[in-house]
Amino acid sequence: MASVVKPLDPADAAARPHRYFRRQYVWQWPIRIYHWVNAVCVTVLFSTGLYIASPILAPAGEPVQHFVMARFRQIHFVFAFLFLINFLWRIYWFWMGNNYARSGFPFFWRPQWWRDLFRQAFGYMRFHAGHIHLGHNALGGLAYTIFVIALGWAQIFTGLALYSESSPSGFWGGVVGWVIPLLGGSFQVRMWHHLFAWGFVFFAILHIYIILYDGLQYRNGLLTSMASGEKFFKDGDLEHDTWIS
Amino acid sequence: MATQRVVVDPITRIEGHLRIEVMLDEHGTITDAISSGTMWRGLELILQGRDPRDAWAFCERICGVCTTVHALASVRAVENALGIAVPENAEIIRNIMWLAQTVQDHVIHFYHLHALDWVDIVSALKADPKATSELAQKVSPSWPKSSPGYFADMAGTLTKFVQSGQLGLFQNAYWGHPAYKLPPEANLMAVCHYLEALRWQKEIIKIHTVFGGKNPHPNYLVGGMASAIDMQSDNAINMERLNMVRTLIMDAIDIVEQLYIPDLLAVAPFYLEWANYGGGLGNYLVYGDLPQNGIGDPSKFRFPRGVILNKNLAEVLPVDLADTEQVREEVAHSWYEYQSGQDALHPWEGETRPKYAGPKPPYQQLDENGKYSWLKSPRWKGNAMEVGPLARMLVGYASGAPEFKEVVEGALGILKVPATVLFSTLGRTAARGLEARLSARWLLAEYDRLIANLKAGNTATASTERWEPSTWPAECKGFGFTEAPRGALGHWVKIKDSKIDSYQIVVPSTWNASPKDGREQHGAYEAALIGTPMADPKRPVEILRTIHSFDPCLACASH
Amino acid sequence: MNSRSRRPSTYEVLREHGFDRRSFLKYCTVTAAAMGLDASMVPKVVEAMETKPRIPVIWLHGLECTCCSESFIRSSHPIAQDVVLNMISLDYDDTLQAAAGFQVEEIRKGLIQQARDGKGEYILAVEGNAPTADGGIYCTVGGDTFLNILLETAEHAKAVVAWGSCASNGCVQAARPNPTGAKPVHELIHGKPVINVPGCPPIAEVMTGVLTYILTFDRLPELDRQGRPKMYYGQRIHDKCYRRAFFDAGQFVEAWDDDGAREGWCLYKMGCRGPSTYNSCSTMKWNNGVSFPIGSGHGCIGCSENNFWDNGPFYERLSMVPLPGVESTPDQIGKTAAVVAGVGVAAHFTAFLARKAMAKGKEGESGSGEKE
Ligand code: HEM
Ligand code: HEM
Ligand code: NFV
Ligand code: SF4
Ligand code: SF4
Ligand code: F3S
Ligand SMILES: [Mg+2]
Repeated sequence: MASVVKPLDPADAAARPHRYFRRQYVWQWPIRIYHWVNAVCVTVLFSTGLYIASPILAPAGEPVQHFVMARFRQIHFVFAFLFLINFLWRIYWFWMGNNYARSGFPFFWRPQWWRDLFRQAFGYMRFHAGHIHLGHNALGGLAYTIFVIALGWAQIFTGLALYSESSPSGFWGGVVGWVIPLLGGSFQVRMWHHLFAWGFVFFAILHIYIILYDGLQYRNGLLTSMASGEKFFKDGDLEHDTWIS
Repeated sequence: MATQRVVVDPITRIEGHLRIEVMLDEHGTITDAISSGTMWRGLELILQGRDPRDAWAFCERICGVCTTVHALASVRAVENALGIAVPENAEIIRNIMWLAQTVQDHVIHFYHLHALDWVDIVSALKADPKATSELAQKVSPSWPKSSPGYFADMAGTLTKFVQSGQLGLFQNAYWGHPAYKLPPEANLMAVCHYLEALRWQKEIIKIHTVFGGKNPHPNYLVGGMASAIDMQSDNAINMERLNMVRTLIMDAIDIVEQLYIPDLLAVAPFYLEWANYGGGLGNYLVYGDLPQNGIGDPSKFRFPRGVILNKNLAEVLPVDLADTEQVREEVAHSWYEYQSGQDALHPWEGETRPKYAGPKPPYQQLDENGKYSWLKSPRWKGNAMEVGPLARMLVGYASGAPEFKEVVEGALGILKVPATVLFSTLGRTAARGLEARLSARWLLAEYDRLIANLKAGNTATASTERWEPSTWPAECKGFGFTEAPRGALGHWVKIKDSKIDSYQIVVPSTWNASPKDGREQHGAYEAALIGTPMADPKRPVEILRTIHSFDPCLACASH
Repeated sequence: MNSRSRRPSTYEVLREHGFDRRSFLKYCTVTAAAMGLDASMVPKVVEAMETKPRIPVIWLHGLECTCCSESFIRSSHPIAQDVVLNMISLDYDDTLQAAAGFQVEEIRKGLIQQARDGKGEYILAVEGNAPTADGGIYCTVGGDTFLNILLETAEHAKAVVAWGSCASNGCVQAARPNPTGAKPVHELIHGKPVINVPGCPPIAEVMTGVLTYILTFDRLPELDRQGRPKMYYGQRIHDKCYRRAFFDAGQFVEAWDDDGAREGWCLYKMGCRGPSTYNSCSTMKWNNGVSFPIGSGHGCIGCSENNFWDNGPFYERLSMVPLPGVESTPDQIGKTAAVVAGVGVAAHFTAFLARKAMAKGKEGESGSGEKE
């Protein structure tokens, strides 16, 4: 993938050399599509999931007139499969995309990764502004790995296992049926699926805050980057990200 | 002087794992006996820390033979602790379920667990169908299945079965033992009724299925019953469900009146000598049951509460389950230890700490001077007690309750024997039949009571104000009880922070099958065996007769 | 029973092992005598042994409540007596056996010996399970541990049927803290087909159905991942529940004996385990089709599922999170985590602003306005 590096405003840059921001196309469209589809799916899945767990709208009258619970489940399943396809799509793009598509990967066998992780963590805690990352910093990458990738798999496996329950010898039963005895039975699968759902909430709160904070602190245009794909950086920033291959 | 030791393990045709060891003198008479429960599961420990509303389900699994009674005692214990009064309909439904259980359990016991102690199957092969038919019509004129053709068919089936060479459940037994006294015709009749009763027992329990969804192990509920009543709904207890219950009740009355009681009265005269053996302790304990005005009012129970000591029918002593000086358990000869160091503990303070101290398996014999059973030894004011149908009949009779007087005196009149024969193996077996008779009648009475309530517009089945744990006190304790088929059953619970803090269960078979206590007083089984002569120590029919007369349940007893 | 044609008769078995006709007749006479029959019966015994064997069944009882036996005798089709008298030969079952003590153990040992010698076979049915803690002393029969008896009897069994949740998954005595170390049969017996027939107890007709299937088709039923016959444990209670229409509509019982309860609405919110339970209750129903737990207004407690006792409270839809030291529901944990994140974020941002304000102040003093 070609990296397109354009000066932001040469005139301004010349006037104020230390604020010479440059612009980089970082998030290719597949990532951006993935991101927003994912955000919508998680929101819908979490809210329909909670409804499934404790349904509160009790319609009066005959059951044939209503389809409330079933509709919530149906929506949950539609978004669950969208979530799954989107997830697989992102994994595909991990290989096919630009460097930044792989930048969230936890390179924990590389000392530089650890250094970046701690530097970023301390940076946030002491309100330091270090250099700007064009891709994900190690801390962000780790968070996505845990709360999006691992949790996503966990939710997909437990969710599909629950989904397969109505036909254990069917297709999904064959693919993920082993999850049920592994977790100690259907009831436990349900419990974990429910617990994991909260993981996304935990993540989302921190994630959205960090996006706002990081954007404010570093002036890197982070907030809008998931829409435009472009991030800002200063000279010298790029030298730090070399460990990401 | 004991000259011979006879070990019977497993005792069969009971529930659970029971071992009996007896010492015989040179005449073959039992001079000493020990009763050992050889299984333990630890339910009292498993219950700790659980939601008290779930306890009934755990407790119910103590036993599937007397299924429901532990669930009943458990919900009562929790309701007692939390101060919940159940709606009257729930009380009645529970009574109906109790009665159905008792009738079914007693019939099963008589025909399938006890009968083969008195009935010789192989001798039945020699019976003349015509003579059998005459006998059957004499003892029970209105029972329909008593034609010569029926008995000829049944004899044919039996012969074919025996000739198959595969005797299954009946092989290696004591057929031809001199203790069997029935003529072939009576034996054939009994074998046929063994099968009739087996067919029928699966019907009566449908009463549990209607109210509790299944049997064994129907569902109970803290606060009432989960089966809502609505005459306008096809998805609740409605007229059809009630009709089914009534039909089953009428069939139960027929079985008890036309099969069980006539068979009992026909067999008893051949075994009157068994009125001399198996009496045992002579102390009887009854908590009482079948409330008519709430569980808190024992004066309105159909089964009166009370204690009889030393066969003294002139005095019925009061019982209080909350009195820490009355019911207490000892572990002197039990495979447990008390950390508190005390000899006897009231169940609210009870401890369950297993400590096996028996021989290493496989073993030949236990040590009667050491610890030898997984049962504790419950005692009432220090006395070893017998519980069960005989105790209930005696306490009812001694309390002067007219219905008890009627059935007891009726039977004694037919057999032409005095009331003292009741203190025996035979008396115990007879009392169970008489209790089934009362219970079948009361089934109808409780059913009518339910209908009357519904007619008056009262359909509530559950009280839910105290359902949520947030409504409970931080700490409380309670007790629940029932008269299980085998006798007085008590559960004692302590609740702390919405969880079970301690749970102690004292079961009828724990009373009856208990080992000796710290003062070397025998439990009821042990006491009942002493003094019985054995004809052939290798074929222990006599031991089985007396032990079976108690209807042992060891899963219950040790829990 | 068509298996008759395939399973060798006792005579055939004996002949294969070198018995001549004379020794066979002698064997029959001894057998007849052991059964208490007089000599005139011997020819009949001979005929029976030559032609129609019923497969012997040894039914062991361990740590249990005997409810599975009780359920078994409730079977309506076939009725239990037909199974016991005409289809199998129930040669050992301490709950129903006429003989007691060593006479009973002799039968069991005899069958094992015959099988060991290749002269016969038997099916082992196990009700209850074996305590394994402390050398198995929490259940002994005839002075030996049930654990030993189980292993010894299983070794030569043709197949093993694990009755009920005790034998198939441990059931109540294996619930926390499992004081006796109770273990289900399949964890103790290896290299043998074990058919799990869970349920506390299983439905009577499921029990007799499994047995008669084996006898009729002369093969073991098809099993699922957990060793349960697919024919009875293939679907959830929930997917076949007659209250499912209320579930889909969103109409739930909210409290015992409320209007919904009287109309038979769905018991999901009362903790019904139907959505997590594989069993035939909602189709076959109990006690010859009279009802089943949900049909009588109480939720399913999941009695045929692994570890269902530890999934309580039965009236809550979700169990506690089974992590050591954690005494909370998933929602409690989740909400706490969300609050922690929210508070953390707020604290961080407040500190950030304070820091910025301080820096601004300093900046103003020093007058150097460029750095941020
Ligand atoms: C208003 C809401 C949100 C905004 C503004 C936003 C913004 C962003 C931005 C700017 C990034 C790039 C951060 C970086 O460089 O490390 C990002 C990454 C990411 N966000 Fe969000 N986000 C939002 C909500 C969510 C939600 C709800 C989720 C899902 C639970 C989510 C999941 C992710 C993931 C998985 C990535 C990594 C993208 C990748 O590498 O594929 N975001 N988000
Ligand atoms: C971010 C992803 C997801 C979240 C937050 C989420 C959340 C939830 C929640 C909270 C429940 C209720 C659990 C309970 O209390 O019983 C639930 C149920 C369920 N979810 Fe998900 N879920 C997600 C993904 C999935 C996926 C990928 C599938 C796959 C098909 C799935 C399938 C199910 C199923 C089958 C149920 C049970 C519905 C029922 O039994 O009626 N979920 N989900
Ligand atoms: N003993 C005892 Fe039970 C009874 N009846 C219960 O409490 O048998 Ni299983
Ligand atoms: S599975 Fe349940 S019903 Fe069967 S013996 Fe065990 S506890 Fe009893
Ligand atoms: S009652 Fe239980 S099994 Fe039936 S539909 Fe409702 S949740 Fe499912
Ligand atoms: S509790 Fe058991 S009996 Fe059936 S409905 Fe549930 S599996
Ligand atoms: Mg106890």
